[in-house]
Amino acid sequence: MNDTAGPYYVPVGHEEQVFRAAFRQGLPILLKGPTGCGKTRFVEAMAVALGRPLVTVACHDDLTTADLVGRYLLQGGDTRWADGPLTRAVREGAICYLDEIVEARQDTTVVLHPLSDHRRQLPIDRLGVTLDAAPGFCLVVSYNPGYQSVLKDLKDSTRQRMVAIELDFPPPDIEEKVVAHEAGTDPETAARLVQLGQAIRRLETAGLREVASTRVLIAAGRLVAEGLDLRTAARAAVAGPLTDDPAVTDGLARMIDAYLGEDDG
Amino acid sequence: MTVDQLGLLASAIAGRTVEVAAVEPGEPPWTDGAIVFVDGEASARDQVRAAAVQACLLAAGSLAPDVLRRIGRRSPTGRRYLGIEAHRALAAQEAVLPLAVRGVIDRAIAARSGSPSASLVLAAGRAAIPEPPEIFGAIRPQQVRPAPITGTGDGEGEHVPRRESEQVLRELEDDEDRDGGSGFDLFNPVGGGGAAGRLLRRLLGSERGRGGGGEPGADTPTHRATTGRRVAHRAALSAATGALPDDPDAGRGRGAVYPEWNVHARRYRAGWCTVGEVEPEGEGREPLVPPDTQALRRPLARLGLELERRRRQPDGDDIDIDAVVEARVELAAGSAPDEAVYIDTVRGRRDLSVLVLLDVSGSAGEPSPTGARVHEHQRAAAAALTLALHDLGDRVALYGFRSLGRQAVQVLPVKRFGDRLDARALGRLAGLEPAAYTRLGAAIRHGASVLEAEGGTPRRLLVVLSDGFAYDHGYGGAYGEADARRALSEARRRGTACLCLSIAAGTDIRALRRVFGTAAHAALPHAGALPVTVGPLFRSALRRAEAQRRLSQPRERARARLRIEGSTR
Repeated sequence: MNDTAGPYYVPVGHEEQVFRAAFRQGLPILLKGPTGCGKTRFVEAMAVALGRPLVTVACHDDLTTADLVGRYLLQGGDTRWADGPLTRAVREGAICYLDEIVEARQDTTVVLHPLSDHRRQLPIDRLGVTLDAAPGFCLVVSYNPGYQSVLKDLKDSTRQRMVAIELDFPPPDIEEKVVAHEAGTDPETAARLVQLGQAIRRLETAGLREVASTRVLIAAGRLVAEGLDLRTAARAAVAGPLTDDPAVTDGLARMIDAYLGEDDG
Repeated sequence: MTVDQLGLLASAIAGRTVEVAAVEPGEPPWTDGAIVFVDGEASARDQVRAAAVQACLLAAGSLAPDVLRRIGRRSPTGRRYLGIEAHRALAAQEAVLPLAVRGVIDRAIAARSGSPSASLVLAAGRAAIPEPPEIFGAIRPQQVRPAPITGTGDGEGEHVPRRESEQVLRELEDDEDRDGGSGFDLFNPVGGGGAAGRLLRRLLGSERGRGGGGEPGADTPTHRATTGRRVAHRAALSAATGALPDDPDAGRGRGAVYPEWNVHARRYRAGWCTVGEVEPEGEGREPLVPPDTQALRRPLARLGLELERRRRQPDGDDIDIDAVVEARVELAAGSAPDEAVYIDTVRGRRDLSVLVLLDVSGSAGEPSPTGARVHEHQRAAAAALTLALHDLGDRVALYGFRSLGRQAVQVLPVKRFGDRLDARALGRLAGLEPAAYTRLGAAIRHGASVLEAEGGTPRRLLVVLSDGFAYDHGYGGAYGEADARRALSEARRRGTACLCLSIAAGTDIRALRRVFGTAAHAALPHAGALPVTVGPLFRSALRRAEAQRRLSQPRERARARLRIEGSTR
């Protein structure tokens, strides 16, 4: 199903079918999943497969409505309107991807409401116009429920307008393929890295902020591809970013030794 | 390298949190369900293997209470059971085992059994079973603690399984006593690192250097107001709303009366609960050893003093485009432009008051998965939070709560806002013992009302430390959960941030969500996990309350206007 020209993405469940159906129906999509499990890659792959341009906005605390919709700029004493990324996507019929939407303040995301229900409109107060979304416009937001489940949450009125697709870390066999492909390592190295990742994910929080994602496993694999040995690569790419706590670091080092050490069994 | 570093590996294989410790010399490796004991002198590879075997036994359910009861003390059966069950457990967990451990699996033996009970039947029979290798260690049926409770059902039935598990545990502990101790004790009075030594060190002030002066590296806070020009206006508003007739603390005194939410009828029961403040019985007790709050102070210190980007400032390091455009437009239109066109990064002022509510109902007396009672964990967390916030100069109060029916909800002031945080306060905290039930909603309403009346700062935070197990006479299951949720959302609507922490309790996250609703909450494995989680949790709770205050402002304004109109008429 993968477009050979597009980014590499291996579907795990029905996410591609759901995405295509929601896209055709003009329904906004909510992607849920832990950090580094492939949410952004999935959207990129789908944008290529559907032949739509992709506008990505990384949400953050200071994101204002003007940053999304657009603002007046000064040009030689006159003001000139400049479209924001959301307005551009609405006009062009692009896929607008708001990454980590919970990072944006709730008063900012309210602007999405009329876009995300049947109206599919973007009112721009400052221009005094209401734009109808061009065909092909699709709103995609991503959101990481996190291990502190209710730490940050989406407003109910926002999430009820969305079609949700839940992504998780892929099962081992697929994750091995992904790591091998993305990092350019041999399948055996990929398999051992994935086994380590799976083991770390079985830990209940244990002082780790986030578990070992597919992303960090790929990073470790890329270090191996550069000639580093497996254990050094895993310490640098997997253990280091996960924690600063010396006790947890030691524990992870022992896990890395056990899973990636010499095969003497 | 020490064996305790293997804790993460063992936890990963067991699929639950376990620790690894060194076994007494000459003893084989074994586990009590919370700690895996392995030989500290063995080679690194054998340590990994031994820990992995014990972790697999835990993961595969080989040490479930019903199986162990059937083994009893019959040592040969236990030995034979281990010989077959360990191979089965290892094979079942093979996908998560390091390669070095996979080598010890005897697949022929593993294939003979499909479950712990099948292994037990084989072990009790006459079939030949090879002696397990030395690194498989031993099973000590009498000393295995039951697995942590990972799920509670809905409704009144919840109480029953808990009692059962408690009983099993008591039996096991009795056995342990008869066996003459399990080889480790928690309260070791000998040695300089003991409780007395730590207390002395604190009293003698060897840690004074870290004391006053705030967190090192924290910049001097500015007192710049959030939205410059509107401050006077806002202050006037809050003064006006302070004395509204529907003020919640109108009837506060010896016995404050609160309504309760009846979820079945979907309306309040007015004047339903009476909350009395009862002096804690622990006067003159040995004070609780003050926990080290160094790690906790760092995330908390940054709370009020966080760098914040503010728009429309008279100076700053970035241009606020929207403000500039407006200013130019105003200029072009011939009116005087506003010159505050910069975005600045500033530190806010600390204006936080916190009230900590500590659950001291009977359910806190339950043992936690790691050994000590839930109460000890919660109390340690309450002490650490209170001390850390106090050190940072916040206004802080600490109350315990429990109940005996709706007419006798007790809150126990350990430290009121005006009290000193001294040895007597710590003595009162040490004297709290879990008893009676939990009428969570009434306690939350009272805590929030005390906080709003006495906190005296615009930002207020209510921290509830509880296992989330709401139960009292006529206050169980869905009813109690709904009332607690309601009480939290009432407080939030008034701009009081709420944060619920469950520490070391076995309650699962779904049950917590039912009780605490959309309030920020977290379940922590032990009080030591506070420093990592507390910063984002506090921030999220406060930010949400802030948004709520902004939303409710028009409403307050409308009410204030009504009042003014009414009085002039």
